[in-house]
Amino acid sequence: MKRWARYLIGALAGAAVGLGGAVWLVRNAALGNNVAIGPWATGRSFGSAGADPYTRAVVAVKGLLALPAQEARYYTAATDSDGAPLDGRCRYLILGGELPAAWWSMTAYDPAGYLIANPANRFSVASNAFQSSGRGGWSIRLAPTRQPGAWLPSGGVPRLELTLRTYLPTDGGAGNPSVDVLPRIMREGC
Amino acid sequence: MARWTGPVLLGLIVAGATCYAGLVFTPDVLMGAAIRRVSEGGFGRFSHVPLADASSRRIVRPSPDLAYSSCPYDVSKAPLLIDAVPVAAPYWSLSIFDSRTDTAFVRNGGQAQGKPFGVAVAKDGQAVPAGYQVVRVRGARGIALVRILVADRATFPALDRARRATVCRAG
Repeated sequence: MKRWARYLIGALAGAAVGLGGAVWLVRNAALGNNVAIGPWATGRSFGSAGADPYTRAVVAVKGLLALPAQEARYYTAATDSDGAPLDGRCRYLILGGELPAAWWSMTAYDPAGYLIANPANRFSVASNAFQSSGRGGWSIRLAPTRQPGAWLPSGGVPRLELTLRTYLPTDGGAGNPSVDVLPRIMREGC
Repeated sequence: MARWTGPVLLGLIVAGATCYAGLVFTPDVLMGAAIRRVSEGGFGRFSHVPLADASSRRIVRPSPDLAYSSCPYDVSKAPLLIDAVPVAAPYWSLSIFDSRTDTAFVRNGGQAQGKPFGVAVAKDGQAVPAGYQVVRVRGARGIALVRILVADRATFPALDRARRATVCRAG
């Protein structure tokens, strides 16, 4: 084989590996890849010119047009609190307390980032579903079938992700809450 | 085997550079696609979409609690003028995203004290009419987005009527 052909093969293979690597890196990242808090991933540089290229790419793929941190914080979980991937065929108990924001909402998405079809046409549970906006503690059941209390349908899909949005964070989006502040996600059964 | 040392090294360098370039240009490519999707009715006008459900595919991770109104803009020839009218809701905001997905401007209903305000989106050097707060953007195209938090879906019809008071147009 001629020398130029070997270099051409090297360059083409490198380009393919590089592009594939970029796709893999972005697709396998959680929205908000900067900080892990228990099962939740978050970041503060969404929509910011100061975000690094990797964060910008992940936000563009998984949360295009996301609000900056002073307006809303986004927390994404693809696993339960024990680290097992979230499975829409299982039932989970999500336990939380007062969240440092004016309003919050939890939504389930399929791995592509779209809302999950379900017979109840319910896609989120928000703080106004609870007495005193959940300040005294709250619980949500994530499950494919109707549950007593606050139910977030999972549609029975094999894999899903949760996004917790907190609007107008009390600290102006400057800090990250501790693991005790964000909800725990516990699998009850499948 | 030694004949492949150079090509392998070249491949590694090209892989690193391609991966980095892929990450750098992803926002531009996806923002361009998003602008094309929301500008089917033309630039410089708001489209008010219904609350998201499982059939929604316009954007990824749509919030089912938010009513979105989007105004795609192209300021290559003239600025975009936005007359914004906040509505009474737990959360309302106007945000302006440039061609790189960066937030060039955001104002929520509390900051606006619920009062109407005007914003002119313009590129560097472009003159804007008096009475509008100027927002300079990088790149000619982008999206202005109004978000309204709909705490109770039963209130959506009233909010849907109210949000149409916010308008955008080429200046």
